[in-house]
Amino acid sequence: MAEIPPLHQEVVLEFPYKHSTGPVIGRFLAGLKEQKKIWGQRVRGQGVVVPPLGYSELDGSAGDEWVEVQPTGTVTAVAVVHEPIEGLHPFTTPFAFVLVRLDGADTALAHVVKDDVARLRVGTRVEAVWAPDDQRQGTIRDIACFRIVAT
Amino acid sequence: MAEPPREPIKYVDALVRLPYHYVAGDCRARYLRALKDKKILGARCSETGKVFVPPLVNSPESLAPADEFVEVADRGVVTTFCIVNIPVIGRALELPYVVASIALDGADISIHALIQECKPEEVRMGMRVEAVWKPDGEREGSHEDILHFRPTGEPDMPREGFINRL
Repeated sequence: MAEIPPLHQEVVLEFPYKHSTGPVIGRFLAGLKEQKKIWGQRVRGQGVVVPPLGYSELDGSAGDEWVEVQPTGTVTAVAVVHEPIEGLHPFTTPFAFVLVRLDGADTALAHVVKDDVARLRVGTRVEAVWAPDDQRQGTIRDIACFRIVAT
Repeated sequence: MAEPPREPIKYVDALVRLPYHYVAGDCRARYLRALKDKKILGARCSETGKVFVPPLVNSPESLAPADEFVEVADRGVVTTFCIVNIPVIGRALELPYVVASIALDGADISIHALIQECKPEEVRMGMRVEAVWKPDGEREGSHEDILHFRPTGEPDMPREGFINRL
């Protein structure tokens, strides 16, 4: 077969999903947007769960007592992304996915740390950085990111 | 306040975006370039003689090379079809419309294409159709160079003529 020049095409697939949040995560997100507060729920056998599921994972009982937790916490796991992928990851410069156990909570919240990722360790103290008032839309990114607490 | 707002956020938008850089490869590039000249190419299996459209490097049936390019007709027969009643994002066609499998004359498998210029209820298995091409100068070597297929008015093909070419 004779050589022929290659043929290229840029193709973009987009899936514009709209997730229904439900009454529990829906109110958790409303708390971020409207109150700049992070809410969890006290659940039998699990303590304060953030973000709340609405039920106990141990016995299925309802977790309907809301508890405010602090915007500060302790990192329990770190995964640094050295080469972010545009459109997929939240930043274009190296950042870290982290699990943060917020003060007052007994479970860890998944989020991101934007700066100083080389200093991140399990046990590092971090605090929430809020998105500006006019940019909070009721999503987990109403917390723009976490940053290392200056010591 | 001792609890979050009563009114929940009901939805969150989650856009999944997958940017691909598609490289056609030798075989597919040849096929797409031929569309620009109003030609539809297939590949003939060196073992069974079956013609695949679009052309394949090997027959998926015999696994033998399908290395002979052959031109097939831009007309053929509806082997099966469906009537679409639900709008698809990115496709601004008047509902209902018909998408059909069409076995082109000279091909042993069907391609998928839109059928227009007739009522959906008139489309049937065995109906003869022909390609409607974009005008000269507007074709760019893409599947969209064929706008749609339309009935030719020829007599229907009997079932035996297409039943093994789905």
